[in-house]
Amino acid sequence: MASPAAVSDSHSNTVAVQATNDDASASKLSCVKKGYMKDDYIHLFVRRPVRRSPIINRGYFARWAAFRKLLYQFLDIDKKTDDGGPIKKQILSLGAGFDTTYFHLQDEGKAPYLYVEVDFKEVTSKKAALIETCSQLRSKIGETASISREKGEVFSDHYKLLPVDLRDTQKLSDIIALADMDTSLPTFIIAECVLIYLDPDSIRAVVGWANQTFTTAVFFLYEQINPDDAFGQQMIRNLESRGCALLGIYATPSLKAKEKLFLDQGWQRAVAWDMLRVYSEFVDAQERRRIERLELFDEFEEWYMMQEHYCVAYAINDAMGLYGDFGFSDDKSVPSSP
Amino acid sequence: MSDLDRQIEQLKRCEPLKESEVKALCLKAIEILVEESNVQRVDAPVTICGDIHGQFYDMKELFKVGGDCPKTNYLFLGDFVDRGFYSVETFLLLLALKVRYPDRITLIRGNHESRQITQVYGFYDECLRKYGSVNVWRYCTDIFDYLSLSALIENKIFSVHGGLSPAISTLDQIRTIDRKQEVPHDGAMCDLLWSDPEDIVDGWGLSPRGAGFLFGGSVVSSFNHSNNIDYICRAHQLVMEGYKWMFNNQIVTVWSAPNYCYRCGNVAAILELDGNLNKQFRVFDAAPQESRGAPVKKPAPDYFL
Repeated sequence: MASPAAVSDSHSNTVAVQATNDDASASKLSCVKKGYMKDDYIHLFVRRPVRRSPIINRGYFARWAAFRKLLYQFLDIDKKTDDGGPIKKQILSLGAGFDTTYFHLQDEGKAPYLYVEVDFKEVTSKKAALIETCSQLRSKIGETASISREKGEVFSDHYKLLPVDLRDTQKLSDIIALADMDTSLPTFIIAECVLIYLDPDSIRAVVGWANQTFTTAVFFLYEQINPDDAFGQQMIRNLESRGCALLGIYATPSLKAKEKLFLDQGWQRAVAWDMLRVYSEFVDAQERRRIERLELFDEFEEWYMMQEHYCVAYAINDAMGLYGDFGFSDDKSVPSSP
Repeated sequence: MSDLDRQIEQLKRCEPLKESEVKALCLKAIEILVEESNVQRVDAPVTICGDIHGQFYDMKELFKVGGDCPKTNYLFLGDFVDRGFYSVETFLLLLALKVRYPDRITLIRGNHESRQITQVYGFYDECLRKYGSVNVWRYCTDIFDYLSLSALIENKIFSVHGGLSPAISTLDQIRTIDRKQEVPHDGAMCDLLWSDPEDIVDGWGLSPRGAGFLFGGSVVSSFNHSNNIDYICRAHQLVMEGYKWMFNNQIVTVWSAPNYCYRCGNVAAILELDGNLNKQFRVFDAAPQESRGAPVKKPAPDYFL
C-alpha cells in the first residue's frame, strides 16, 4: 500500500514513495496468483506483474490476514442504534494507494456505510482514472458516482477517494467534512506503511488529530520497527537508496514506542505486536497451515528477522463502549516458538 | 592462453559464457565429478566456504580475503546459486575453476543445487533472462546431480551442506548412496543437504523447512565419536556473525554470503585450516557498491511496502 507524504524531504520523494504503492500492488498480485489470498481487483492496478519470492508472498499474506481479522472484528460488532437499526460504521484509509479492500467488502456484503480513501493527488488521480475506465470497479461504487481524474476525486454514496497531504491536518479535517464523515460513528482508520515515511512531528500530528476527531475509533497501523540492529540498519539504507527514507522510525523504534505514540496523543488503549508474534498467535492457524503448503519455503532465518522488523499496532477510543472484545486475543499463553 | 583460461578470466569479470561454451564446460566437468566419492577426500591446508547464493561480487571479496584458486585450496559447501543476481556467473566460475584445477577446489552439493528449488528461487529465471532459453539451466542442473554430497578433511573434519540424517550413522553409509539424481524429498541424501542442528532438540526433530530434520547435540556427539572425527563443518543457515559453533565445538556453521539477499546486514566468514588443521576464521563484509562494476544495476531488495 503506502503512498504517503514526503515531497520536500531530500531523502524521500513523491515519485519514489509512489513507487512503493506500485511495488506493494505487484507483490499483492504475486500473492494472489500463488493462492495466498483472493483479490479479484488487484490485477487491474498492476501494469507489470512480477513473481515475488516466497518470503515476500508469505509476509504480505501475514499482513493481509492480520488486517482482515481486525477489520472484520470491527465490522462484525453488532450494535443497534436507539431506533433499533444496525449502527452505521465507516472506514478511513490514510495513504490508501491502490488498496482494493473496499471492492472486496462490497462483494462480501460487508462494506460499511462509508469508506473514505485519501492519498497524494498523484495516486488518487491514477486510482480515479482506473475506477472510471474499469467497469468492474465502477460498478462497485455505483453508476451515479462523480469521478474527476484532474482533481483525483471520486464521490459516490458509500465510497469517496480524495487527495490530501497527510502532513496538513487542517486539510485532513476539511477532507473528512467534504467526505461527509460523521466523527461520532465507529470508525476504523488504516495506516499501512504510511506514517513511517513522515517526520515524527507530522506522525504525532496525524495520530493526535485522529484522536481528537474520532471518539469511537480503531487506529490500525502496520509498519517497520527495530532500526538499530544489523538487519534494521540495512533495511533503512536500502529504502533510503530507493528514495523513501523511514523518517519516523527512530522516534518509534520499538513496540513500546508505538504504543506510547498513541497513548501520548490521548488514545485510550494501544497494543503493538511484532509480525512474528502476530503470525504465530493471531493469524488463523488453519489459514497458516494452508498457505505454508503453497510454495517451497527455504528462508527461515530471514523470515524471522524480517517479521521482527514489522509490527501491527492498534489504538482504541471507545466512547460508545463497543470494543471490549476487540483486538489480539487476551490469552496470555506463552508465545509459540518460531 | 587456453580457452579455459580465457573463460575463467571472462567469468572473473562477471561476464557469462556463450551457451555452447557452457555446454562444453559441463561435459568436461562431468568427467571429473563422476569420479568423486560421496564423501570426497580433501587434504589440508584448505579453506572452507559456505553459501554464496549468486552474490558474485561478494564471492570476489571472498577470494580477496582467502586468496586465489589454485594458490589456495578451496572447499565450497554448496548453495552457489539462487537468491543473488549472478547465479550464472558464480556457478560457472566455480565450475571452470574445478575443471581447470580439479585438485585445488572441491564443490559439494547444497539443497539449492536442485531443479525444483532453482525454479522457485531465481536461478531458472536468471538463465532464461540471460540466455533467452533454459538450456544453460538444464546443463547446470544436470551437473548438480554429479556434485559430491560431503567431504572429509584429513579424516578428521566432516563437511556437508546441511547436516546429519537419522538414516546415516557411518560415513560408509553415505558412500553407498546413488547420488546421481535430483535431490529426493526425503531419505539420507535429502537430509544431508537439508537438516539443521538445533539447540532445543534432543535427538531428532521435525524441520520447519519441510525437508531434512533438526538434530541435537547428542546426535552430533555420537556421530563424531563413531566416525572418529573432530567436528562437523556445515553451512545452510544464515548466521549474522558469519560463523557459529554449537554443541561444545562439535559442529560449526560457516556462512559466506555477506549482506545476504542484499537485505540481511550480516557479515560473512570462511574457515581456513592450515596443514595441521589449525583453524582461522576470516570474516568479511559485502563488496562495496563501487566495486560492483559499472553500469551494474543497483540491487533493489524487496520489502513489505
